[in-house]
Amino acid sequence: MSETWIIIGGWFAAGLTIFMFSFLYKDNPFFKIAEHLYLGAGMGWLFQVSLYDVWIPQVWDPIMQGKLLVIVPALLGLSLVAQFFPKISWVSRYGFTFVMGYGAGLAIPAVLSTDFMSQVAGTIEPIFKIGGTFNTVSAWTSAFNAFFIFFGLICVLFYFFFSVEHKGMVKKASTVGIYFLMLYFGAVFGNTVMGRFSLLYGRFDDLYFYSSSKYFYASQIIALALVIYFIIEHFTSKKRKIQQEAK
Amino acid sequence: MFKEYISKFLKLDRRWIFLLLTIVIFVPIIKPLGLPNISIGSNTKRVYDFIEALPEGGFALLSLDYDPSTRPELHPQAIAVIRHCFRKNIRVAIMTFLPGATGLIDEIVEKIPKEYNKKDGIDYVVLPYQPNYVAVMTQLGSDIYGIFRTDTKGRSTKDLPVMKGIKSYKDMSFAMCITGTALLDAWVAYAGDKYKVPMLGGVTAVSQPGYGPYLQKGQLKGLIGGMKGAADYETLLKKLDRGTKGIDSLNLAHFLVLILIITSNIIILITKYL
Amino acid sequence: MKFFKRNLPLVLVFIVGMVTLASYYVPHRASQEVYLDTMNKWVNIIAAFAFLLGLLSLFYSHYHKIKKKADGWGYSLFVYIGFLAMIIPAIVSEGQQLDGPNLTSLGWAFRFIYNTLAATMFSVLAFYIVSTAFRSFRIKSMQAFVLFLAAMVLIMGRVPLGDLLWSKILGWTGMSLADLVEWIMHVPAVAARRGIMIGIAIGAAVISLKIIFGIERQYMGKD
Repeated sequence: MSETWIIIGGWFAAGLTIFMFSFLYKDNPFFKIAEHLYLGAGMGWLFQVSLYDVWIPQVWDPIMQGKLLVIVPALLGLSLVAQFFPKISWVSRYGFTFVMGYGAGLAIPAVLSTDFMSQVAGTIEPIFKIGGTFNTVSAWTSAFNAFFIFFGLICVLFYFFFSVEHKGMVKKASTVGIYFLMLYFGAVFGNTVMGRFSLLYGRFDDLYFYSSSKYFYASQIIALALVIYFIIEHFTSKKRKIQQEAK
Repeated sequence: MFKEYISKFLKLDRRWIFLLLTIVIFVPIIKPLGLPNISIGSNTKRVYDFIEALPEGGFALLSLDYDPSTRPELHPQAIAVIRHCFRKNIRVAIMTFLPGATGLIDEIVEKIPKEYNKKDGIDYVVLPYQPNYVAVMTQLGSDIYGIFRTDTKGRSTKDLPVMKGIKSYKDMSFAMCITGTALLDAWVAYAGDKYKVPMLGGVTAVSQPGYGPYLQKGQLKGLIGGMKGAADYETLLKKLDRGTKGIDSLNLAHFLVLILIITSNIIILITKYL
Repeated sequence: MKFFKRNLPLVLVFIVGMVTLASYYVPHRASQEVYLDTMNKWVNIIAAFAFLLGLLSLFYSHYHKIKKKADGWGYSLFVYIGFLAMIIPAIVSEGQQLDGPNLTSLGWAFRFIYNTLAATMFSVLAFYIVSTAFRSFRIKSMQAFVLFLAAMVLIMGRVPLGDLLWSKILGWTGMSLADLVEWIMHVPAVAARRGIMIGIAIGAAVISLKIIFGIERQYMGKD
């Protein structure tokens, strides 16, 4: 790609970014165009990656080399599309059965081992490791933390345990459980703020990049054009309103 | 009178808040504050130490499962880790389960290998996108070439020098998933725990607190979280880049959120009790 | 016909599910290298077709809009333009984004169009999180206060300015902000997250069993 194309690309990038952000002021045709382009481009990208990374090397090439067994999963995959045609939608079940059965079979041992057994072990192990002399602050804090996690987990589990009525000790434990959950959700919220800002920073940084003289001030010119559009649109819509009221 | 006046603030047109946020993020981009990143997260340090302790010639499998929507957080992480591997002369294989990642991976291989004079096919390889993560993670436990017969350029992976001696997880130094999805959970369950390959992770800030249990149990050997994690890694690597620059620009915005929450709650207290 | 429409798929899901489940515990070569290897390859290929469902449904709904000249049908044309903006360069560059050190037309389309649109779409959320924080984050109870405290520590602990202010104001306590962030993430957050994890794990295992035994049939659609 020549330098000219890179500059044109910069104008596209700056323009589409500003069109998307224009929704924050109010809904407008430029945002709608960018939104619809995104839907199409997302699908187009997915399509081309599937074509060149999976279909051609994993289905087409083997068939061409005479490895015909690969036709079976390809047909099962194509059967999924039958969902669109009510009369033969049942055909798609064959594709789904493979994926669902296989996924379910692998998931059971994996989640039970990783997210259940290991987590129970991870809570109990540190308690058994407590021992020796408590002559350092860190020995005391790690012992405290081990018990605190154990205690917190039990309380949280009580909160999620709906088979008994929450009253008496159960209620107390589940209330403490809520505090642990609140600390967790607070941490998640705090981190979410950083995450969202990082994404925004990324876009602003790009806009700043395209505002340079190398890109012929793409960001500034497009932003200014959009502001002018909004001003004109404001007055014409006002005029239209007055005319309608006069009628 | 005063009460009415300040309670109006709560009904402030949100576009003013949008404008305020735009200013507090945009201004530091033009004029950086330049505050040093002092505190390094312990989990990021664990990733760094793990890779640092590996012998030369090791093999790293990096699953870069993020697309442009989480790029500012995760791209700097991936770049920093790949730089670290190259510096330590560790071979790198890059794969993905997200179609949107393929373009980003190309952006990395266009720039980073050059810095360390690394060659495609000898020091690193880019493997094609695969749609079903469970199937691929399971397959990699027995024979990587069963799924990855060719690389993105159509060359036979088996014959590439970078893949010498590599057949399954047990031949790899570690696997790392950098993602804005729940794919790291799957990597821990279907690869790390099952095939005992050391797992490292890189995630967005949003999902970072959720990985505490895996880290405590040792199911994850380390975790880089969000842009702060990327900045920490760049500091450890002594190669400051986009992560460090980004975190500097976010200083003011973070305080804006706190100020807004506190202000709105003070206004409510005043209107209620005064 | 009912056999092919209903019974056979249910039998298949049961067999595939049970054999795959058993393969986890059977280290024999036949289980690992023959059965699982074949299944892994097959399922991976099947999954590559799944997105066609999304593609067809998107195309169909926008085609309908254009055909009926429904409100805003002109925008629907841009769905197709966006699609072609990726597909045509892909065919021209044969799926390669780089040609040596040069960007191909596909690489150009990714970098300046798809990358821009996807990244901006999600970055807009930052604005809403701020305005929601201002309008709806109400510290009305002790629990909400705890949530706020944790959030505040994390928000401050994520940027150098927070560290700086903490050490200036609360440095005398001997505890750094980073220590506090680490403690929240490594102790109470672990307890809470583990509770959630264990709950989800049991739920996932139960759903998987229901699928294998044909009790959960939503994926089969209607008869």
